[in-house]
Formats: sequence, C-alpha cells, structure tokens
Amino acid sequence: MNKNYTILIGLAILAALFPVVSSSYITIGLTVLMFAGWASSWNILGGWAGQLSLGHATFVGLGAYFVAIGSTQFGIAPWWAILMGMAVAGILAFFWGKLTFGLRGPYFTLSTIAIAEIIRLIAINEGWLTGCASGVFIDYLPEPFGLDLFDKTVQYYMMLIYAVITIGITIFISTRKFGYQLKAVRDNEEAAMAAGINPTAIKLKAFVLSAMLTALGGGVYGIFLSFIEPHIIFNLLLSVQIALTVIIGGRGTVWGPAVGAALLIIFGEIFRTVFEQANMLVYGILILVVILALPKGIVGEYAQRLIRRKYANRA
Amino acid sequence: MQTVLKADNIKVQYGGVIAVNHVSVSLNEGEVLGLIGPNGAGKSTLFNAITGFTPISEGSVQFFNQDVTNLPAFERTRVGMGRTFQTERPYEDLTVLENVLVAAFLKNPKRKDAERVALSSLEKVGLSDRAHQLSSDLNLARLRRLELAKALALEPKVLFLDEIMAGLNPPALKDMIEFLRSLTATGISIVMVEHIMEAIIELSDHVVVLASGNKIAEGSAKEVISNEKVIEAYLGTD
Amino acid sequence: MFDYISFFQNLSNGVLIGAVYALIGVGLTLVFGVMRTINFAHGDFVVVGMYFAVLLNSLLGLDPYLTLIFAIPLGFLVGACIQKYLLTRVIDAQHESMLLATLGISLVIANLLLLGFGGEPQSVNVSYSTSTLSLGEVRISVVLLFAGLATVTVITALYLLLNKTEIGRAIRATAENRLGAELVGVNTKRIQAIVFGLGMSLAVTAGVALIPLLFASPVTTGAVFTLKAFVVTVLGGLGNIGAAILGGLVLGVVEVLGASYLDSAYRDAYGLVVFLLVLLLKPEGLFGKTVKRV
Repeated sequence: MNKNYTILIGLAILAALFPVVSSSYITIGLTVLMFAGWASSWNILGGWAGQLSLGHATFVGLGAYFVAIGSTQFGIAPWWAILMGMAVAGILAFFWGKLTFGLRGPYFTLSTIAIAEIIRLIAINEGWLTGCASGVFIDYLPEPFGLDLFDKTVQYYMMLIYAVITIGITIFISTRKFGYQLKAVRDNEEAAMAAGINPTAIKLKAFVLSAMLTALGGGVYGIFLSFIEPHIIFNLLLSVQIALTVIIGGRGTVWGPAVGAALLIIFGEIFRTVFEQANMLVYGILILVVILALPKGIVGEYAQRLIRRKYANRA
Repeated sequence: MQTVLKADNIKVQYGGVIAVNHVSVSLNEGEVLGLIGPNGAGKSTLFNAITGFTPISEGSVQFFNQDVTNLPAFERTRVGMGRTFQTERPYEDLTVLENVLVAAFLKNPKRKDAERVALSSLEKVGLSDRAHQLSSDLNLARLRRLELAKALALEPKVLFLDEIMAGLNPPALKDMIEFLRSLTATGISIVMVEHIMEAIIELSDHVVVLASGNKIAEGSAKEVISNEKVIEAYLGTD
Repeated sequence: MFDYISFFQNLSNGVLIGAVYALIGVGLTLVFGVMRTINFAHGDFVVVGMYFAVLLNSLLGLDPYLTLIFAIPLGFLVGACIQKYLLTRVIDAQHESMLLATLGISLVIANLLLLGFGGEPQSVNVSYSTSTLSLGEVRISVVLLFAGLATVTVITALYLLLNKTEIGRAIRATAENRLGAELVGVNTKRIQAIVFGLGMSLAVTAGVALIPLLFASPVTTGAVFTLKAFVVTVLGGLGNIGAAILGGLVLGVVEVLGASYLDSAYRDAYGLVVFLLVLLLKPEGLFGKTVKRV
C-alpha cells in the first residue's frame, strides 16, 4: 500500500518529464492521463462497489458544461466552476443511485443507459440550460499565475494532476475501512450486512465520489476541447469506453484503470493511423479476450496470480 | 442474570404459508440456547427473523432491552448480533485475512486495530497460517471456520450460529464444542440452530423445539429429548 | 374539437412502427428466454441487415425485400456461429460476463461495418419510398405498410415454428427449464445456437424492412436499436414473446403520440421514461413474470 504511493510518485515524475522529451505526442499523453483519471473514478463504483454503470459520460458532460457556461455566461473562473460541477454531479449521483440501486446487476446497467440518454436528450434540447444546442465555445479563460490554460502543455499537466488525484484517492481507499466495505458489498451483499455494513449507503457513497471525480476530469476536458457539443459529450460511447477501460485493465485494482487507459489509447492511436477510423474495434476485441481468458482484467489476473504464488511460497 | 434476547410471539408468514407461528424464545447472559426440530420446522426462519434477514409479520424482538424489531439486519449486527451463515459466504476476491478484516472494521475503524482483531480471530479458529490465502481457494471445512472467525471479529454480544456443526467429523466436532464452551466463559451468549444432538446436549443451557412452525417443547436438553412430542416430531407417528 | 384524422394518422403510424419495434424486440426476448442473457449486439444485428440490403441494392439493384432471401439464412448462420464458438465459452460466473461479451461483439460488428462501409449514413432508394396509401383521410406510408406486413409474416412464421414443430417444442422446453429439457434429451447447446441464430435472423429482417425508411449509420444506429429493443422487451416482460409484440406496439404508439402531442424533440425519451418507470415500479413488465429486483 505504501509502496503504491511510491509507484505513483515515480510514475508522476516520469509523466511530468514526458512533454519535455516528446512534444509531438502531448495530446496522446494527455488523453491517456484523462482516461486513466476517468477510469479510476469509474472504478470506485464499477470495480470496488461492483455496480456496472454505462452512464458516466453524464458526469463528464456536467463538468465540461459548468466550465463552459461558467466562463462564457457568468464569468466564473474554471476552478470554481469545476467545484460547482462536482457538487452537482454528486447530488445527481445521490438521487440517481437512490432510484436505481434496488435493481439487480444487468437491469441496473440498463437503467444507467436509459437515464444517461434522457439527460443527453435534455441537454440537446434545452438550449437555455446548455447555452445552445449546437455547442458552446469557450473563448476566454483567466490566466492563473500567468499560465495560458489553452496551451496544450499546461493542459497536459492539469490532466496529470487529475490522474494523480484519482489514483491517489484509490490507493487511500484501498487500505481503509471504506475500501473493504465496498468489496464486501460487491462480493456478497448478505454477508456484508451480517458484518454491519449498510449496502445502499456504501453504494451511494461510491456513486457520489465516483461521479464527482469524473466531473472533475470533465471540467479539464472541457478546457481541452474548448468547443463543447451536447451530443458528443453526453455520449453513450464515451461511457462504454470508460467502463471497458477499467474492465479490461482490471476492476477493483489500483493500477488496472491506468494500465487499461494506456493500453487502449495507445493501441487505438496506432489503429487510427493505420485505418483512420474504427479505433473502438480495439475495445471490442480486447473485452472479448478479457471475458474469455482474463476475467479479472489484466492487472486483476496478475494480482491474483501474485497472491497465490506468494501464499504458496510461504506455506 | 440479564435477559439479553427476548423474541416475543414471532410470526413469519409468506403468502399463505405460516413458517413461524407465534413462537417466543429468550436468552440469558452467558447462556447457550439451542433451537432444534425436524427439517422444515422453521428454525432457520426464526433465526433469520431474529437476526433481521427475514421480515417479521407479527411479534417483537428485544435485544439488551432495546427494541430491534424494525431495525434492518446491518443495524442489528451493529448493536451486537453476530451471525454465521449455513451456506458459507466468503468474499471470494479477498484473502482469508481480508475477509475477517471486513468484520473487524465494525468495532475497529483504524486499519491497525482491525488487523490485530482479525488476526486474533483467525488464531482462535486455527486459520492463522492461511491468512494470506485467497478465500476462494479454501475447502468447505475451512470456509466454515472462516465464517466463525468473521462472526467473532465482530466482537458480538450474542453469537448466532446456523448449523455450524454440520458435516464435522468426530474430532472436529469435539474441538468445536470445546471452543464454543470456552467462548461462553468469556461472557458471549449463543443461539444455535442445530441438528447434531451431541452438541446440543453438551452445550445448551436451554433448548426450544420447533415443528411445523410451532414451539412444541422447551426445557433443558435432557428434558426435551425424552419428551414424547419431540420424539414424535422427529420420527413421525405410525 | 379533437382532430380525429390526425389522431388516427398518428395511431396508424405508431402501430406500424411499433410492429417493426416488436420484430426487433421479439428477437431479443427470444434469446433472453432461452439463454437468460441480454444481447447488447442485437441492434447491431439490425444494422447488419440494413447494410446487407444496401450492399445488394448497390451491387445488384435488388429490392430490399428480395435480399431477405439471402439475409435470413445468412443471419441465422452467423448468429448461430457466434453463439456456438464465442458465447458458449463465456462462463456465467456473473451475469455481466454475457452482457460484456455481447457488448464486445457489438463494438466489433459496428466497427467492422464502419471500416467496410465508411461513416456516411446510407440508405436504399426504392421506387415506392414516398408512396402512400389512403384509407379515407388517413395516409399510410407504403414502406411502413410493407414493414408491418413483413413483421406480421415473420412473427406468424415464428409462432408456427415454436408451437407446431419439434424444434419449437424443444426451444420452449429449454426456455422454461434448461435442466429439465436436458433430462428429457434436448440438446440445449444446439438449441441455444439455433435460437441465437433465429434472433439474428429476426433482427436482420427488421433491418431490411427499415432501410427504405431510415439511414444506416454504423456506430450510432446500432445502439439506438438495441436500446429500443430493451425498452420493448422490458415493457413486455423479458422472455415473453407475445408480450414483446404488445410492448413493441406500445412503444411505437407512445413515441408517435408523444412526439405529436407533447414535444417531438423528445420522441426517443418517452419510451425511455416509460421503460424506467416499468423497471422501477413493475419489474415483471406490463405483462410479464420475471423478477428484476434485488
């Protein structure tokens, strides 16, 4: 556990040096960090609590829109706008969860798709909420400490901080009571109740935290895009991407989401340069591979084998 | 001596079926209450009703003078009820130690304390050497002990055991009986649903017999096993 | 003054569209009934049908309905193979494994279509694309009518298959109780492959029926149809074919009426809201019997 923090610091330093080394791949690096962050956020609900949500793009959109509307219509600085977006995301997640946590596995997932879709339709149609159905353009952002927020390198470091925060929080949870309670509820809800855990309360906490962290990333994403369209940002495909990143990487592990993100984004890029489109094909093939051969995801399977080997050596 | 558990007039009904028909049981501090009866008698249902895993249609449950009738199962655990499950329910992705940690966290929010309690619990049931094994790799007998370790780590005031003796071979049975006896010496009270008469006879201070949802006898183990109605219930009339 | 004519116009449109939704939903519910799995790729199977019609139309100038001659058996074969070689390997440790596997298949199919046909939405132009039939003052689009007829034909054929043939009986037995069916000698593995194949055939048929009306876009259309299929099957009660038909009709009518009398921009949302309400309040569906609550 403490060693996870060390690994995180090491990786963060490496990642911080990356733009210095290679400036042409900054956008890809940024994208990897972004998905690592989103995936780690999703992981709290989908991996640790075991609730498969396919509606998380909603929270990405919330974060992005708060930044966009905040700056264009109200002159609010992005950091305050993001905090507001996170708060709203948390509140939405609370009621969303309260409504749907009574549903069993696949039906919960279906309900997340339905709710996310409804929200997407609202976002597209209620121009007064989202500024304009055809999109919002962020044309001005303040310059904290003289930093140009539209500069790709600055954005890269913002994403790096985001990824570090989310992974750091995951490591923190992994050693504490909350982390164990999440996994208990996931693995056997009745046994968890017999251990004094309130399953609904735990799932709600996970959902709220997960939503808020996703919105945080969404806010930075908004700055990166600077032009935000509702049908692109509230997209089911994005939700699927985030979820699959974690499932392929390894649900409920600390490093699974990051590994998944790195793998999928990089492969996707390679694919895109060859075929120009259809880079989601990689996700489809890899999820099938995972389901058939590595059910716990890449890192998950590795971690399990490691535990078994360590135990066998001891005995 | 204090009455720690008082279940009054419990009725559990599913649709048209009355699984438990106005049964009352009580337990004093440090004692062992045995719940016996033929299959389908309603023992497990009563057990689940008291611990909060089955809704009660009528009646009340008092725990240390607190009315817990309307408390959900996890709240009842928090006030001191620790139960095992007849079909073992490990958290399969976690190691043996982590399984017990989950329970230990109830009374010990800090990781270090929880770990200490969990390890001690594992030691009591003899699973210390397997602390870092994946719980999904354990055989049934050890899973049973894990169930017990989890319940113990809750530091419960009353331990609820659901057929914990089932399938144990004679030496293991003896060990378990001795172990439970030593537990009661530390002040824990026990409610046990059992089929294994030897355990009931050795451990129970008080026995309640159920058949077809009704209480048909109660008393000391000796009284109860020589009771005609009880024998009839188990063997059937000709 | 209530406008009866436009009401009936809407109603007839709704019913016809609903018929096609029913066709899509029946395929999904059939698969669920036998395999207890939610097929995320179902909508993409519909899109495969659409593109198949587009392909044969541009290559050979065939009318979409003629392509059915090839589409139905091909769809069946592909579906059966997917089930036999891929899905049987998915061990349902958790129900999500199947869900995720079908999600993977959906992504693969959608992206292969994207690679093959490009991202531009495509459709098929037939001579009767814009023709309408008049019933009094009410106009019915010929294409919709054909689609509705195709649906009725196919569903009737399915009914006959399920109720009057040996295989049909085996399918129904497997859906009711797989273990029991095995015990009386049904090769349930083969039945599952057959049913999945049937499901795909039904989806492909719906795609062919719809292509004169709609544009096919490889990545987004699939998800839209899958979602509609979910709504239909949940409305009707998963596994219940007759109810899925009713569910489809309900969805079609709700959408058209909602779009006309409330807000047309939210057309897709009405079905979703009803879907959510049913999931949360009456999980067995409006007519069905399976339980979805924890």
